[in-house]
Amino acid sequence: MSQPSPQLPRAIDQGLANCESCGKITPVVACRCPRCGSTLHLRKPASLQRTVALLVAACALYLPANLLPIMTISELGNVMASTILEGMVEFWHRQAYPIAIVIFVASILIPIVKIVALVWLCAAAAGKVHPSPRILGRIYWFTELLGRWSMVDIFVVSILVALVQFGAYMTITPGPGALAFAGVVVLTMFAAMSFDPRLLWDRLEIMNATETPSPTTDHE
Amino acid sequence: MPEGSAARCRRCGVLLYQNRSASLVRVTAFSLASLILMGIVNMFPFLTMEANGIKTELSLLRAASELIREGSAAIGWCVAVFTLVAPLAMAGGMLYVCGPLLHGRAAPGARHVARWLSRTEPWNMIEVFLLGVLVSLMKLGKMADLCFGVGFWAFAVLMVCMAAAVAGIDRNELWDRLEVAAE
Repeated sequence: MSQPSPQLPRAIDQGLANCESCGKITPVVACRCPRCGSTLHLRKPASLQRTVALLVAACALYLPANLLPIMTISELGNVMASTILEGMVEFWHRQAYPIAIVIFVASILIPIVKIVALVWLCAAAAGKVHPSPRILGRIYWFTELLGRWSMVDIFVVSILVALVQFGAYMTITPGPGALAFAGVVVLTMFAAMSFDPRLLWDRLEIMNATETPSPTTDHE
Repeated sequence: MPEGSAARCRRCGVLLYQNRSASLVRVTAFSLASLILMGIVNMFPFLTMEANGIKTELSLLRAASELIREGSAAIGWCVAVFTLVAPLAMAGGMLYVCGPLLHGRAAPGARHVARWLSRTEPWNMIEVFLLGVLVSLMKLGKMADLCFGVGFWAFAVLMVCMAAAVAGIDRNELWDRLEVAAE
């Protein structure tokens, strides 16, 4: 952002599309990739709208996911509901710090960081905040890489439900929070997939062009 | 470019392209191994637990089916997709595409399978499931006697094989070869 980059020719200006499945570069007028048969787009269709819609849905589920119990433990007639946060605190009290930290990072930190990061990426692509290319690239990479690890809590519930079936002595059943939490994870994964990072570079291009109109870089 | 070497940007040294050595052979071998291991994982007990004389057994199938039986069908199906369907589709798909390509042939419909492979990849969560097993063990710890079965160890190896197979895929090479083979 500090210096205007020389205006390199862009694929979008020449009507060239990069196939999302196989990476072949083809004129977009062909409609379908000649190599793999996918539909060609210059940019992912309605990328921002889809990402924002999925994020709104994920935000709506985030509160019930953390407030409602993800599982209920009935032990000798005592019924105890447990939320994600309580599960983490319990590990902390038992001095199982590494596991408590893993749960905290996977179930609480990653979803919220992912939602905030994607909202920021969308805002940057829409030109609402000033983007810094290097940081944005890192964030995009981070959201793509780490999102799936949030699923660990759902797997814990499924494992405990399958294993702890001791009739009246002790049983574990899934709670409503689990569904909401799984929803948050799946929705943020879809949101990250529907976001097109090239929109960020398009926006930078527009900003560079409007901020520093230098006549020397126009014709190359 | 020779096999196993990489092209880097002259200015900043970022990896541009890597010609992975024996990419197709590796993907084929590891996906075949993954399929065999999946059979073992589902045939042998994964984890058994004993408390107060009652014995319960965990398997991948039961982890999903118990949730469906308990009335959380949506999560149950999610778990089934992430731990059974997606890994099976990935390993099967990779073998189906890369096996014939080793002999310069494209299997019928290989383009469609290859296209779906990249879309299935993020939903294959066996390594996350393994972390889930570890967390569950910590949770159950003192409550009962736990015993790892053959299925568990096979699952751990499966995770490594799947990761190796997926890491071996070279998208450019795969599609170049598919294009040549289809002609």
